[in-house]
Amino acid sequence: MAGWLFVITLILALAVVYRPFGDFMYRVVSGKRNSVVERGIYRLVGIDPNSEQTWGVYARSVLAFSAVSILFLYLFLRIQSHLPLSLGMSNVNPHGAWNTAVSFVTNTNWQDYSGESTMGHLVQMAGLSVQNFVSASVGIAVAIALVRGFAARKTQTLGNFWVDLTRITIRVLLPISVIFAIVFIAAGMVQNLSGGTDVTTLVGGTQHITGGPVASQEVIKELGTNGGGFYNANSAHPFENPTAWTNWIQIFLIFLIPFSLPRVFGRMVGQNRQGYAILAVAGVIALASIALTVGFEVHAGGTVPQAVSAAMEGKEVRFGVPNSATFGAATTLTSTGAVDGFHDSYTALGGMMPMLNMMLGEVAPGGVGSGLYGILILAVITVFVAGLMVGRTPEYLGKKITGREMKLASLYILTTPAVVLIGTALAFMTGHNSTALNTGAHGLSEVLYAFTSAGNNNGSAFGGITVNTGWWDTSLGLAMLIGRFLPLVLVMALAGSLAKQQAVPASEGTMPTHKPLFVGMVVGVSIVVVALTFFPAIALGPLAEAF
Amino acid sequence: MTVTAEKPARTEDNSRPTAVKAGLLDPGQLWRSLPDALVKLDPRVMWRNPVMFIVEVGAVFTTVLSIANPSTFAWVTTVWLWLTVVFANLAEAVAEGRGKAQAAALRAARQDTVARLRDGRSVPAPELKQGDVVVVAAGEIIPGDGDVIEGIASVDESAITGESAPVIRESGGDRSAVTGGTKVLSDEIVVQITQKPGESFIDRMIALVEGANRQKTPNEIALNILLAALTIIFLLSVVTLQPLAIFSKGFQAAAPNTQAINAHGVTGIVLVSLLVCLIPTTIGALLSAIGIAGMDRLVQRNVLAMSGRAVEAAGDVNTLLLDKTGTITLGNRQASAFIPAPGVDPQELADAAQLSSLADETPEGRSVVVFAKNEYGLREREPGLMTEATFVPFTAQTRMSGIDLGGRQIRKGAAAAVMKWVRDNGGHPTEAVGEIVDGISSSGGTPLVVAEGNRVLGVIHLKDVVKSGMRARFDEMRKMGIRTVMITGDNPRTARAIAEEAGVDDFLAEATPEDKLALIRKEQEGGRLVAMTGDGTNDAPALAQADVGVAMNTGTSAAKEAGNMVDLDSDPTKLIEIVEIGKQLLITRGALTTFSITNDIAKYFAIIPAMFAGVYPGLNTLNIMRLHSPESAILSAVIFNALIIVALIPLALRGVRYRPSSASALLRRNLWIYGVGGVILPFICIKLIDLIVQFIPGF
Amino acid sequence: MRLPSWISQHVAALRAVIVFTIVLGLAYPLVMVAVGKLPGLDSRANGSMITVADNKVGSKLIGQLFTDKDGNPIPKYFQSRPSAAGDGYDPTSTSASNLGPESIVDTLSKNPDDASQSLLTQVCTRSLDIGKLEGVSGARPFCAPDGTGAVLGVFRSGGFTGPITRVVAVNETGTPFLDTYQGVKVEPAQNDVDYQAEGAVMTPIRGDAPAKPAVPADAVTASGSGLDPDISPQYADLQAPRIARERGLTLDQVHQLIKAHTDGRTLGFMGEPGVNVLELNIALDQGQK
Repeated sequence: MAGWLFVITLILALAVVYRPFGDFMYRVVSGKRNSVVERGIYRLVGIDPNSEQTWGVYARSVLAFSAVSILFLYLFLRIQSHLPLSLGMSNVNPHGAWNTAVSFVTNTNWQDYSGESTMGHLVQMAGLSVQNFVSASVGIAVAIALVRGFAARKTQTLGNFWVDLTRITIRVLLPISVIFAIVFIAAGMVQNLSGGTDVTTLVGGTQHITGGPVASQEVIKELGTNGGGFYNANSAHPFENPTAWTNWIQIFLIFLIPFSLPRVFGRMVGQNRQGYAILAVAGVIALASIALTVGFEVHAGGTVPQAVSAAMEGKEVRFGVPNSATFGAATTLTSTGAVDGFHDSYTALGGMMPMLNMMLGEVAPGGVGSGLYGILILAVITVFVAGLMVGRTPEYLGKKITGREMKLASLYILTTPAVVLIGTALAFMTGHNSTALNTGAHGLSEVLYAFTSAGNNNGSAFGGITVNTGWWDTSLGLAMLIGRFLPLVLVMALAGSLAKQQAVPASEGTMPTHKPLFVGMVVGVSIVVVALTFFPAIALGPLAEAF
Repeated sequence: MTVTAEKPARTEDNSRPTAVKAGLLDPGQLWRSLPDALVKLDPRVMWRNPVMFIVEVGAVFTTVLSIANPSTFAWVTTVWLWLTVVFANLAEAVAEGRGKAQAAALRAARQDTVARLRDGRSVPAPELKQGDVVVVAAGEIIPGDGDVIEGIASVDESAITGESAPVIRESGGDRSAVTGGTKVLSDEIVVQITQKPGESFIDRMIALVEGANRQKTPNEIALNILLAALTIIFLLSVVTLQPLAIFSKGFQAAAPNTQAINAHGVTGIVLVSLLVCLIPTTIGALLSAIGIAGMDRLVQRNVLAMSGRAVEAAGDVNTLLLDKTGTITLGNRQASAFIPAPGVDPQELADAAQLSSLADETPEGRSVVVFAKNEYGLREREPGLMTEATFVPFTAQTRMSGIDLGGRQIRKGAAAAVMKWVRDNGGHPTEAVGEIVDGISSSGGTPLVVAEGNRVLGVIHLKDVVKSGMRARFDEMRKMGIRTVMITGDNPRTARAIAEEAGVDDFLAEATPEDKLALIRKEQEGGRLVAMTGDGTNDAPALAQADVGVAMNTGTSAAKEAGNMVDLDSDPTKLIEIVEIGKQLLITRGALTTFSITNDIAKYFAIIPAMFAGVYPGLNTLNIMRLHSPESAILSAVIFNALIIVALIPLALRGVRYRPSSASALLRRNLWIYGVGGVILPFICIKLIDLIVQFIPGF
Repeated sequence: MRLPSWISQHVAALRAVIVFTIVLGLAYPLVMVAVGKLPGLDSRANGSMITVADNKVGSKLIGQLFTDKDGNPIPKYFQSRPSAAGDGYDPTSTSASNLGPESIVDTLSKNPDDASQSLLTQVCTRSLDIGKLEGVSGARPFCAPDGTGAVLGVFRSGGFTGPITRVVAVNETGTPFLDTYQGVKVEPAQNDVDYQAEGAVMTPIRGDAPAKPAVPADAVTASGSGLDPDISPQYADLQAPRIARERGLTLDQVHQLIKAHTDGRTLGFMGEPGVNVLELNIALDQGQK
């Protein structure tokens, strides 16, 4: 019961902030004025905030920024031992540095390393944490550009990437981070530059209590749906998530931006009800997923959970099973990937749910920005199929979905399953699945989960596989890179193609895209077209284990 | 001399391309199309349909496997995979077959005639060039498309329109166009050829109904992209399954080798079966048949679309421009009242009105006579019997007509003209008459003043008669989200009155061709698609500009060239039907796509447990249909997948039922039938097939 | 000189990365560190350390081991949950076990490097040990009396079907927990044999232990972080009689202490009640002085 109340209060809180926070973000991305700080940043970066970019230039700016970021972070990791605050950590090896650099720039935050034994404080805050901010901003910026494409009438331009990047970072992400970092410190999260404190425990043993700028990184880890923990144990670690209520706040922060972006979408296209429809799609899937995950975990099926009498393995007492399961669903419904309990030890079906959430393409509500554009692509596909059924060339928000739009949307929905399935198959063909800790169906799940997480830029791990080998680092790095930037470029191209179009005025003959029927259809398309693709693989993993 | 070479005698009932009744599909037709379907198995042809090409490749693969490693299961499955491909080809062949029958009949009309040029030379018809001038006499076949430049003739156009009543074709005006292959019945005409060799109307019609150079329409292309993407996704999903299957089989050492899975993973036959069941074969198989049938449905209604693109655009139309006359109103105005001037006996007015109209053969004139008879009991007098009568015909100068009967001079005509005539005769028309005239005008009617000598007797109220049922039709259009705009040369006042009576959304009064063009442009700039009909040469620019331009077959060559459809019946209301056919085409595609995709759910539940229950017995939990055995489950899914194609051919050809209604209502209805139905139906059918299949030895 | 646009974009990108690194990577966290130095936040930002007699003994938030050098529980202390962090509660190596719900077959070998325990056996062993320590039954479903996972490898003539040909208690080299299974004699397992690979169907045997065993769930499972500072009130209550006995306290006194160190659900619905083991043990120690 308390577990449901936990979910209900989250829903209420998100409902309360939907309009004000959505409107606020709308003003941030649509406003004309720039603050002093922003103007300073534009000058330092050397761009003209008033120049508008075509989709191609916008996309190239995103790619340039991301490429430089990867390079920068790679170098940072490779030379960390020579930098201050390294705590004596050695340089990260080349494949590890590649994997981590790609991982953080792509908003995946897959970690092939254990934070407390690999990363010094400077790399954590000035390297990884910076990408937590800007990779989130990039996702939001691209989503906004797509929405501009829907809202625009016969234009070539979609805004200015540098302006979007700066404003989202400075006006949205940073202030919220500051506020909640203070809240988190008050809750007991550490925030210092100490290398740790050795203590003599009550029984005379020694324990090294770690330090670090954790609170400041923790907020953006959740807010930017990044998920890369300061420590290996991520949000299960008492310093990253000290209490049951910080757990609640973390889930709230994970959902905050993704669930409010539909409002921005609605505002920008001038029809709030369109935003509500998208919100409803995400909400329905999210709620069903959370309910199932919590249900499966509380039911505690499987040999070991039955022996234990609860699915407590890998979970913390202060959170308990239902709240941990809620977190597990939230982190995979978005592209966060933080964990407060270990998915590997979930029940078979409970562990299947995070995987399914990601396989859906993380659209309910998905990562910051990436979730919105993912769901809009699904809406486009739905409109196409459904639109034909009302006897017209399908149109969404007045924009016709023709061959070109379908080509881009189809490639989009093709990319991630391709990356995930090919990656998983390659792991088995080359025998690299052997580094999985568990055997049989569960071992298969671990490999499938790894590629699902990387391809969808989630970053959570089923755990259990040793992934800091050359093969895993390289292949998962590629999966993350392709899984992020190919869809992103397709989305930008779609935005450009939509922006050029004149809008068809809505009439009685236009299929309404704000009604429950349409919401149901998008949910159906997500499940039938996207998720079912993975059914055969799921059957050999979690389902084989469960039955 | 034009000679008809060996023209087979055409009896009355096949004078028209054999019209195959839409929607009805007799088994014989399937059987007759089978050879065509088999020819299409050629991979070079199949390649054009990626979904079915994959199935064919799969079928070849399983054939090889079955030869290498024969078993009942392997062979039966292989046969059904082949049948899947054949059924798909059959759908297309049947659709094309109907067109072929029509094409054959049309070909019969395109005989090898020899054209007689005006300069005396004789040229075989196919060698006629643009600009050649030929002479065609009664009994001869017109050798090519062109315009009459001299003479008038009655022409039998039944070869094209199916309408046996002859039509008049004359030089000048809007009835000058003649079509090659039609027959002159009387008189002689001189025709200037406007077609290029081999591009005659009949040639194009044949190509069209045969689907010879059928090009994919924009929507079809977009849908094909989605289908290809889905196919690739499922291909990936199936291919990448193999390493996982090998791993799982290896781990579960206790699992025996079965027909579905062994140490080398899932067997090729099962893998192909899974793939074929998952990829959207249903819509992939029927897609081109739907397109061909859509064009065919237009042909059934005597409309020739010059491109499939135009048919699709018809479904998208936002604004319909309709000519008032002939479309919204009956072609002509009719007398609806006789309003006597003060002090005049109504009977006297009726009598004068009747007399003045006796010789007036215009429909307006006839309506006056009919009205006088019906309302005033005046018997029709035979003009021939009234020997002393002199009829005064209508001229553009006098703007009136009438009769001189002994000493009586009766005139009727435009108010101003008749009043002037009365004054010229020394009369003084009263103010009251002017008021009556104004009243009629402002109500949208046309006043005809009747006068005798120096007296104005009264006014005939001529009224546009809106065709019955138009208002309901326009209401339907509105429900479909289509705005109707009436185009008329009338003044705004008259136009408004008729527009209100007919229930159109808007009107364009005193419309010139330029106004029409401007209106179309304006609508298009607002993102709307416009459809219109037209026949005159001055309609050509507007027809060309409109997204859907339907030219009347009676119209000029210029109009026919400019539009992208030709209505052989020259019925302007056809536009509404064309829109419906366009919508039906798109709906059929969408419905079958939805059906095809939702079918997958049941197939997953049939095949996945069948494939893997041998490795993880627990997965039999997913066998919710309780199918007999893994082999029977897989075969049942494959059989369902093949049979559903045949079962849906009639639907693809006929199109899904379409009733004009709002998008929401349409969506809800189709989603229930084809979406929810698509989920449920295969569960039932696969189970039923399984109940039969299990009796095959070896299953 | 104007740079080509693709170069100028990368120059802008580089500048942007540097600017954001300064703003977000240095200024923001350092300001937050400074905020953490404010009174009130100070101790929390530095790890919520607990000081006993001027010695830091640990963090309120980080669990500790209360075992002797050999890993045996020290009876006068409340015991924490099992931990997968390093050798137990090692903050430099936080980790969960990552073993799945069907981890039920041990790898048996004479060579300790090759041998590994399944999660089921770990749970069963812990339950048995705790049962012994607390004087209650350590029996659990799917657990053999000797603390291994009660799993049989069943060989059938047709793989999954057909008559049983052989049955092996795959987690036990000693006397199997069952004599016969469906009429077939159960044989003990041998070291270094993978019965799964030999074609056995792994069949866990439920046994007759109650669905809710005496030893609570958190006592037999490792936490996600390996640093869980809490145990469930049930586990604390289970340990209370032993503590009372060892410390010469009444059971009531111990229960009161437990209550005092139990955090209920936040606002009544967030999380689960937990007992902070370190604080409780410190309180016990301090009460003794």
